[in-house]
Amino acid sequence: MFHWLEKNPFFFAVAVFVVIAFAGLVEILPNFAQASRPIVGAKPYSTLELTGRLVYIKNNCNGCHSQLIRPFKSETDRYGSYSKSGEYAYDRPFLWGSKRTGPDLMRVGNYRTTDWHENHMRDPEEVVPGSIMPKYPWLFKNIADVDTAYAEQLTIKQLFAVPYNKPLPTADGSTQTVALADSLDGAHASALEEAKVVVADMKDQAVKDAVAAGKIPEIVALIAYLNRLK
Amino acid sequence: MDIATLQAYGFFILTAILVAVLYGYIYHLYSDQKKGTRDYEKYSNLVLHDEISDQPVEKISKNDDIKQEA
Amino acid sequence: MENRPLEYDYTVAKLFMYNAIFVGVAGMLAGVVLAWQMAFPQFNYILGMDLAEYTNFGRLRAIHTDSVIYGFVLSAVWSAWYYIGQRVLKVSMAESKFLMFIGKAHFWIYMAASVVIVIGLQLGITSSKEYSEFEWPIDLGIVVVWVLWGISIFGLIGIRREKTLYISIWYFIATFLAVAMLHIFNNAEMPTFIISGGIGNWYHSVSMYAGTNDALVQWWFGHNAVAFVLTTPIVAMSYYFLPKESGQAVYSYKMSLLGFWGLMFVYIWAGGHHLLFSTVPDWMQTMGSVFSVVLILPSWGSAINMMLTMKGEWQQVAASPLIKFMVMATTFYMFSTLEGPIQAIKSVNALAHFTDWIIGHVHDGALGWVGFMVIGALFHMAPRMFKREIYSKSLMNTQFWIQTLGVILYFTSMWIAGITQGMMWRAYDEFGNLAYSFIDSVVALHPYYIIRAVGGTLYLIGMFMFAYNMYKTMTSSRVVEENELQNATPMGA
Repeated sequence: MFHWLEKNPFFFAVAVFVVIAFAGLVEILPNFAQASRPIVGAKPYSTLELTGRLVYIKNNCNGCHSQLIRPFKSETDRYGSYSKSGEYAYDRPFLWGSKRTGPDLMRVGNYRTTDWHENHMRDPEEVVPGSIMPKYPWLFKNIADVDTAYAEQLTIKQLFAVPYNKPLPTADGSTQTVALADSLDGAHASALEEAKVVVADMKDQAVKDAVAAGKIPEIVALIAYLNRLK
Repeated sequence: MDIATLQAYGFFILTAILVAVLYGYIYHLYSDQKKGTRDYEKYSNLVLHDEISDQPVEKISKNDDIKQEA
Repeated sequence: MENRPLEYDYTVAKLFMYNAIFVGVAGMLAGVVLAWQMAFPQFNYILGMDLAEYTNFGRLRAIHTDSVIYGFVLSAVWSAWYYIGQRVLKVSMAESKFLMFIGKAHFWIYMAASVVIVIGLQLGITSSKEYSEFEWPIDLGIVVVWVLWGISIFGLIGIRREKTLYISIWYFIATFLAVAMLHIFNNAEMPTFIISGGIGNWYHSVSMYAGTNDALVQWWFGHNAVAFVLTTPIVAMSYYFLPKESGQAVYSYKMSLLGFWGLMFVYIWAGGHHLLFSTVPDWMQTMGSVFSVVLILPSWGSAINMMLTMKGEWQQVAASPLIKFMVMATTFYMFSTLEGPIQAIKSVNALAHFTDWIIGHVHDGALGWVGFMVIGALFHMAPRMFKREIYSKSLMNTQFWIQTLGVILYFTSMWIAGITQGMMWRAYDEFGNLAYSFIDSVVALHPYYIIRAVGGTLYLIGMFMFAYNMYKTMTSSRVVEENELQNATPMGA
């Protein structure tokens, strides 16, 4: 910079690093604690919901669908109330997306049902003529990975004090609790209970049979996750 | 004073300093070149004469250090 | 050994060059498939319904972006580093067995990581973070590759004969440092298998940050990955290859100093423009927006410096397709560094965000600026590495015009698509109801998706011509003497 700097690689590198690291410190750090506080009514994901979230990520749904409603009337009219920071407090990773090839899904649980999702995943064009979303037949065959979701739950409970098994405040003044099993078998059992609720509204016989036999196809987990987005 | 006011002052002062640094730096570069203290433009030859048999624009020597340069 | 004069050793540069060409073609092929999938969803099942899980848009997208950014561009950047680095420091890789070993290790470990990445993404193993989809084992592998590159940079600098570091070296150093910092912070993640005591997939991890913080860190990364993978090393190339090829001294060395430090300081701040109207605090959004506009200055500083380097020598643009590539690249650099700040203005962003306009912007930068500069650089290096002339000048010219047409079709169609989309989403009818349902906006974009796919296909055709031309140059073109390789690259008919 001042003539000698370009001749001294070490000081040059230090100078570059200081200049580029500066912005990160000023921009990112001050807000860190504040932004991670959950809003009233926010709750962690149950085992099956988190399993479904992993299916969502595995199939890169966030490549085409956002989960961020901006504070414009045209967006709140279309998708519901705009997003608040505290609503994302349990989202690891965040799934805001960067492109809306399809509509926003932040509150899709408010206006779509289990059987709508079932039909739509099997053949989007049949449900929404003109849709360019591909069919997802493998979701009906692949068995969801509950183990990994449970491992993730244990990890975030231990490291980030995510409040499983604790009463959490809701908007109407009552409390709610998200249970976390204390063993892998327990986690499978509770996920299966959740799956039975979802599958009661589904038509696909093979999926029903699988759940009856104690297996959870990916589609069931995914729908549990989508229904929970509110 | 609350944090927002401090931030506002901080932002203004930082901006003023950066503007001063930028213009000072430009002045420094161009006046040095003009007065002949330093020829920046010769370093273009780093590219134009870059065969391994070419003479270096500025040779590196073992007992050189920063102080002698500045 | 003692009898031969010392020469630059391009062994490692050649390895990276082969990979850049191969992955360039493959990654863009994936992109073209994606483009056709958006126009006609049947392309999601090109290998049959049974394999659709691995060929659908969601899976292919990350393979396209990562292979083009980290396969094609990074390989070309490293090829250029192992070429430029020796030359402007006036030291040969042949002088140090250690650095030669590091260079080769750098290449082969990078190749191994690349293969694992492609297979993993195909199987749906992803952390979901754009351009940083890799799970923790691969993230560690990336650190190894990066450290090896660092040793190579500072090792070569350590044994240099030339005292002053040339402009290109500054940009390489900046790339190295910034990407290291970004990669480490954005990939702070906890392996669930280890923490939970051996449950589930061993490669799965969970982000250290939640929600808004995660988004903030990710786009601080995402934006600056663009800065320090797709911009600074490409500027490094342009500061070397354009003056060298045209035989002109850089217009102003002082201006390059200003451009460099300006870019370093300003670029990082601008990441916030990916999060306008999101849940991050207003002042950060405004900061991102303002600094994005300020960013025009250092970007244009470098670009104008390039353009003025050609002052009085514009006949070279007409005469040499190689200069054409580089000058067109610089033009696209100016174009996309103006377009970006416009999109970062809050009111424009309200319309443009989440639409295809952003995709258009990315691609006029990536195809126009990065792609053309990389192609120009590889065309310049190949004859010097292989001591043969470029196989065909006319093929090169044809490639240039086909690809230019491809880029133009791409970004114009995406402009129209993006603005149409944005306008339809916010349109109200006379009764105060939303005028269009979402699917109306999807259907309306069909023609533009077709035009875009055609544009992408043209660019890909150009890449095949490029690969063929390079192959012939390496293997069977006319052998040239050292003295033909001074400035303008020798080319066959």
